[in-house]
Amino acid sequence: MEELKKKLKEQIIEALNLQDTKPEDIDDNAPLFGEGLGLDSIDSLELMVLLERQYHIKVEDPREGRKILQSVQSMAEFIQSKQPA
Amino acid sequence: MAAISPQPTFEGDIFSAQLVHTDSNLLACAEPDYKPFIPGNSLRRMTRVLKMGLTAALKCSQESGITTPGPIVTGTGKGSLQDTEKFIKEIVEYKETALNPTPFIQSTYNSVNGLIALQQKCTAYNNTFVHRGFSFENALLDSMMLLQEGATHTLTGAFEEITKEHFYIKSRIGFWKDQPTDSRELYRHLSPGSIAGEGATFFTLTGTPTPQSYAAISDFRMLYKPTGNKLTIALRAFTEAPDLIITGRNGDSNFEHYYQELDQCFPGIPQLPFKHLCGEYDTAGAFGLWLAARILKAQQIPAAWFPGIGHLPTPVHSILFYNHFYGEQHVMLKLEKV
Repeated sequence: MEELKKKLKEQIIEALNLQDTKPEDIDDNAPLFGEGLGLDSIDSLELMVLLERQYHIKVEDPREGRKILQSVQSMAEFIQSKQPA
Repeated sequence: MAAISPQPTFEGDIFSAQLVHTDSNLLACAEPDYKPFIPGNSLRRMTRVLKMGLTAALKCSQESGITTPGPIVTGTGKGSLQDTEKFIKEIVEYKETALNPTPFIQSTYNSVNGLIALQQKCTAYNNTFVHRGFSFENALLDSMMLLQEGATHTLTGAFEEITKEHFYIKSRIGFWKDQPTDSRELYRHLSPGSIAGEGATFFTLTGTPTPQSYAAISDFRMLYKPTGNKLTIALRAFTEAPDLIITGRNGDSNFEHYYQELDQCFPGIPQLPFKHLCGEYDTAGAFGLWLAARILKAQQIPAAWFPGIGHLPTPVHSILFYNHFYGEQHVMLKLEKV
């Protein structure tokens, strides 16, 4: 799980071009939107694309997406739940 | 006014600036530091031409003292090529699935206008013209009509970028010279094609002159694919002898004959060509207009940019600006001192 979260942070920084942000600057449980990283609605679409491209997971229900994209922790838990045991 | 171009036009004194030149057949913009103009969180998503266009527009507004612009009217031949290319490549790479929204959104021609309006909180008229070599000129015409209808001012501009891929595509259809050409020698090497360029230029236009005004546009004409004879008639009817002519001459032997018509119409009047400064692109006319207005206001020319040209006739009261885009879209503008 720790390895997945570290990789996810690196992928978020690259996908959203978060200049001056390092993986260690992102708290696992900090909100990604509003406070925390201060991302916006276009970023949420970019993160959906990231999940699809990097982890082959398509989020169909936008309400589900809101819960998944709350934090790095929630994203990692979702990815892990979709990976074969 | 504000201009981002291959020359150091964004900051500093252009009249003492050195000439930036190339022998790669491509004059790329000298980009400024965008951070004082665009918040970091917005900057991270923008590609080059968006940053150039938005920054030039904001600097122009700043210089004119107008914090919330009225109508925003722009012209661009190609919009954001970087975003367009990225979006098309991703369509192929990901087989039309999992496409990023950002390059698609930003590849639309009116993205720069949208960004200006969002950042300046401007909800007035907002339009982008995309008409190849007439893109900026239609934006200008629309702005002039808005002023005539009562708008107090407009933010009017143009933006264009060149990418490696687009340079290659255009080279296949003969837009650029096939031999590396020193941009300083552009007009001495008449051969097919020109050199590529790019830039973002913005103007605040008002219906009546203000103390900050650079120049007045007193006449304006567009001609589509004229014959040499029709061009001569139009040029002679357009103006009597101006004090100075600024031309879009670009060293392209395929279309040099149009400029020779101009020479014959106004013999003995000093001419300043500007394409060795900015290269050739759909909206290069905006840069030429910016240069003409700077010269009119300052009553001097940037000496290092025009070596070998003697002194200007002083004072310069009127300038004829003539440019065309690969022989198709021809533009005449008359500028007068205010």
